[in-house]
Amino acid sequence: MPADPLDALRLPIVPVEPRPEFAEALLRRIQPLGRPERRATPTIRYFVNDLDTAVDFYCRHLGFEAELRPSPVFAMLYRGDLRLLLNVPGTHPGGHALPDGTLPTPGGWNRILIQVADLDATVESLRRAGVRFRDDRPSGVAVRAVLLEDPSGNPIELFEPARGYHERAR
Amino acid sequence: MGGDQPRPAGCDPVLAIYREALPQVYGYLLPRCGSAALAEDLTSETFLAAVEASRQGKLTEVSTAWLVGVARHKLVDHWRRLEREQRSLAAAEASSMDVDDPWPELLDAEAAYAALARLPVLQRAVLTLRYLDGLPVADVAEHVGRTLHGTETLLARARAALRRHYQEGHHRAR
Repeated sequence: MPADPLDALRLPIVPVEPRPEFAEALLRRIQPLGRPERRATPTIRYFVNDLDTAVDFYCRHLGFEAELRPSPVFAMLYRGDLRLLLNVPGTHPGGHALPDGTLPTPGGWNRILIQVADLDATVESLRRAGVRFRDDRPSGVAVRAVLLEDPSGNPIELFEPARGYHERAR
Repeated sequence: MGGDQPRPAGCDPVLAIYREALPQVYGYLLPRCGSAALAEDLTSETFLAAVEASRQGKLTEVSTAWLVGVARHKLVDHWRRLEREQRSLAAAEASSMDVDDPWPELLDAEAAYAALARLPVLQRAVLTLRYLDGLPVADVAEHVGRTLHGTETLLARARAALRRHYQEGHHRAR
């Protein structure tokens, strides 16, 4: 049988690198499907003056659950995928004192953000429960947000999406 | 190519070879699709399907060669969708039955690929699988969901149509 001239059309695979943005986006799409157990837990640490009061506040008002409470100066809370570590500053182990003796203090302006379904109703309910707000008038760009404080003065922002809100597709 | 290495323990087998397999899968699809956008879509479909199968525990071993096979299925699925949309065009083309004349002994592959891209989608599909990928006719039949005899007929028509487009392209080029 004579050779088929169309055999000359055989096209071996020559590796081609796709656009880097495409490669990274595809990797992100397949990662959560492929290995949910390997995703790192988003974790925040807050310093508080009194552990009992803080744990009670976060669990009662903001939907956290206590996971670990191995000592009077440390607790681990969860809210969905978010892990919140609460530490009482000091020179004890886990007190996060610097070598020169400087101690962390609660407060400041950096904060965790918690998305809520109905901001107005949430604010009203928290206000009735006596929660302290730095600003309870909803405002923001692409969100409506308010700022409240835990009993140690750490800020927590509550928000609901508004026009122009963006989040990476999951 | 080193795409058939064993999977590292404790890691999803598709993710484990992602970096190495991606250029192979994309490199397979790109020249056969003729469009980077389509090649990207089908590359995504390939890896998403593979990861889904892996998550369901359907895979014991994953290799680059296997992923290229998945990509081939995705490409054929795409052509079959297109073919359903363009059925009237394909039917008109298939009705002009040609005799399978001899080809020139020296084939200009680039001109033949260009002619291939102008064929109705099902003809393009069977010729790609048969000649570009080098699959046996029985495997081509399985991919396009036809009988062996039906596929041979389709291939004969496709060859004739390709020759016509190839020669027209050559005449224009002169």
